[in-house]
Amino acid sequence: MSDSLPVLARHASVSRRRFLKVAGGGVAGSSLLTMLDARQAPAQLKGTTLRILTWSHFIPAYDVWFDKWSAQWGEKNGVKVKVDHIPHLELPARMAAEFAAGAGHDIVMNNATILVRLYYKSLLDMTDVYDDLGKRHGGWIPAAKSPIEVEGRIYGIPTYYILLPMLWRKDLFDANGLKAPDTWELARVAARTLKSKGNPTGIAFSHCNDANLNWRSLMFSFGATETDPSGENPTIDSKEMREALRFAKALFDEGMTPEVFSWDDASDNRFLASGIASWIHDAISAYRTTESTNPAVFKNTFVAMEPAGPGGKRVSVSAPICFLSWKFTKNPQGAKEYLTALVDADKEGMVASTGYNMPFLNDLAKKPMPVLGADPKLQVLQDFPKIVAFFGHPGPYSPQIQEVANLFVLPDIFTRVARGESVDAAVNWGSGEYRRIFAKHKRA
Amino acid sequence: MTSSLPSGGPDAASARAAAVSLGARPRSRGWFHSQSTRRLAFGYMLLAPAALYVLLLVGVPFLFSLYLAVSDANVGEPVARFVGLDNFRAAWEMDTFWIALRNSVVFLVVAAIFKSILGTGLAFLLLQSFKGKKLVRGLVVIPFTLPISVSVLSWKWMYDSQFSVINWALSRVGLIGTYGSESWPIWLGQPHLALLACIGVNVWRSFPFSAIVLLAGFTSVPTEVLDAARVDGCTFFQRFRHIVTPMIFPILIIGFLFDTVFTLSDLSVVYLLTAGGPGNATQILPVLAYQIGIQAGSLGRGAAIALMLVPLLFPALFLMLRNLKRRDW
Repeated sequence: MSDSLPVLARHASVSRRRFLKVAGGGVAGSSLLTMLDARQAPAQLKGTTLRILTWSHFIPAYDVWFDKWSAQWGEKNGVKVKVDHIPHLELPARMAAEFAAGAGHDIVMNNATILVRLYYKSLLDMTDVYDDLGKRHGGWIPAAKSPIEVEGRIYGIPTYYILLPMLWRKDLFDANGLKAPDTWELARVAARTLKSKGNPTGIAFSHCNDANLNWRSLMFSFGATETDPSGENPTIDSKEMREALRFAKALFDEGMTPEVFSWDDASDNRFLASGIASWIHDAISAYRTTESTNPAVFKNTFVAMEPAGPGGKRVSVSAPICFLSWKFTKNPQGAKEYLTALVDADKEGMVASTGYNMPFLNDLAKKPMPVLGADPKLQVLQDFPKIVAFFGHPGPYSPQIQEVANLFVLPDIFTRVARGESVDAAVNWGSGEYRRIFAKHKRA
Repeated sequence: MTSSLPSGGPDAASARAAAVSLGARPRSRGWFHSQSTRRLAFGYMLLAPAALYVLLLVGVPFLFSLYLAVSDANVGEPVARFVGLDNFRAAWEMDTFWIALRNSVVFLVVAAIFKSILGTGLAFLLLQSFKGKKLVRGLVVIPFTLPISVSVLSWKWMYDSQFSVINWALSRVGLIGTYGSESWPIWLGQPHLALLACIGVNVWRSFPFSAIVLLAGFTSVPTEVLDAARVDGCTFFQRFRHIVTPMIFPILIIGFLFDTVFTLSDLSVVYLLTAGGPGNATQILPVLAYQIGIQAGSLGRGAAIALMLVPLLFPALFLMLRNLKRRDW
């Protein structure tokens, strides 16, 4: 009898609260697994609300599809879905405000400015959703984890990325006996030849996202790297980086006009549409818009593989789009289920985006891809998933790299060289800025 | 009480008067019931909303910025550690910070000069009598009232390297060459021109405000004084220098203070036109603070950079306000 007392006491410690906690967790966990397995939202989602914050897509038809698809998903699962679109440059400020308030949207999109590593402690762990999607769709492409993985856990779902391939004028190249711009050297020869005939090329040297993306593609294809694989140390002070800078200077002098210093993200689109550009390195929206604005240019513009660097290396730096969910969301299950269904519907989304959105999942990236596979000019884009990289390559997309990108340090290094500063001086300046930024983050 | 007093004789009268005055005095009123105290309290009551407004909307954010600037706060960490002056030191170590500081000062001074000249000119024009004066007065404030994003995006189009309406107009009248020629200005691409272009938009937006402030001042100058000066043979510039300017000095100072604060803290024009580029040629402190504090998430360092505006503003404000007080209008 005397032994029964401690036993009773132990039983008494399993309080009603603890029992409910354990049982509730078990039910929630098992229902999520069942839900993910059955591809059907559980009954407890009915009557809930889901607020989504996303950007205004460059292809307006995609937004129409996205809103409609979200509403239909909501109707099917008894969830009231509300989608808010804002310009992508406003997303960081909105995220900061929502975080400070501890309230806001259940799902928030990050576009190019990826803030996962800054907020991960306050973000919903999405590892289960990520693993499930990977399992069912043949795994993720190698670059997928870089923006959303922190300390081995996944805090966001990458939905698509935006490629910036070569868009070149075949008519101008053919008329001058030039080869397709399959390497950066061929692109430079074409720019040099065609500038004198009134058709220069252009890559933005200014403070815009295109400059951040394009110059990284060039330097990575030249074998330069931004950080080491750990992402802790900047590595831009290298022989390859100097080579890339010398090349960029020659490309600017021989093939561009000074207007590239003033460009924004849409300037090269207009440059192509005006019929002046011989080639640009930009998203296919530039090509798509010429269909209505300048059909002759549209007819003669072709899309090429990322040009190879001197060693034959090709790296295409793209803008990733990820969806995150706050820990404070009242509908975590709804958020996970919604994102799972959204990625499952990726092919529909790709059609709606007219091939602009590229999938992160291997099965979805299999040939023939929707839209791209059917368009002879765009088929080459199906070969990009293997060479896609993001800021910080080969390291992760860290907060320090985000700050480097926000301050446009890398385009400024290229700008300095293009304006006549020596390569060594520009690299020294840039390395100093990188080191200072990295050191501040290390201290923090 | 009065009924018990004896009647008749001067003593009796003074005693009655005293009794009446005693009777009229409030029996248990405290000091705060005196008229002067009540007036004082009423005054403070009227001032309270303004004081509360300043305290809540200016004082609290300022103190919060100070707190952020000495902490390692970032957008994703609710709990921050005290880091002393590390954030200020980090800012000073950045090349970009010094470029931004220099550009901010240039921006402020050049914009102030142009706004003074254009604002004064416009104010004098609006002072004249002409048909449709009221309509014109209404129209000139449009740049100031338009949403900044809309007006700046229009300017961005006007400064476009290829389709700039300014360039096409200048080219048409033969002042510059054609598109692609060396004389074709790249407004937002050439370092000095880019900064000037940003200042131009700021001036365009704000000089109507300067004009309105000056106009209010000009109309308050009595015409008799100006007429007397005219009779005494004063020229236009003498009247302006020796009569109008001293009389409207307090208004000028207040207008100048507002303008200084608005210009130094103007983030939108530069951010929307160039984002500080090319090569940091147009980088200014508010944009740098936004890029580091909000976009890159380092609230502490962003706040430290933003607070660097205070040493720039404070001496100017102090001198102007002291000058104003000395004149004691």
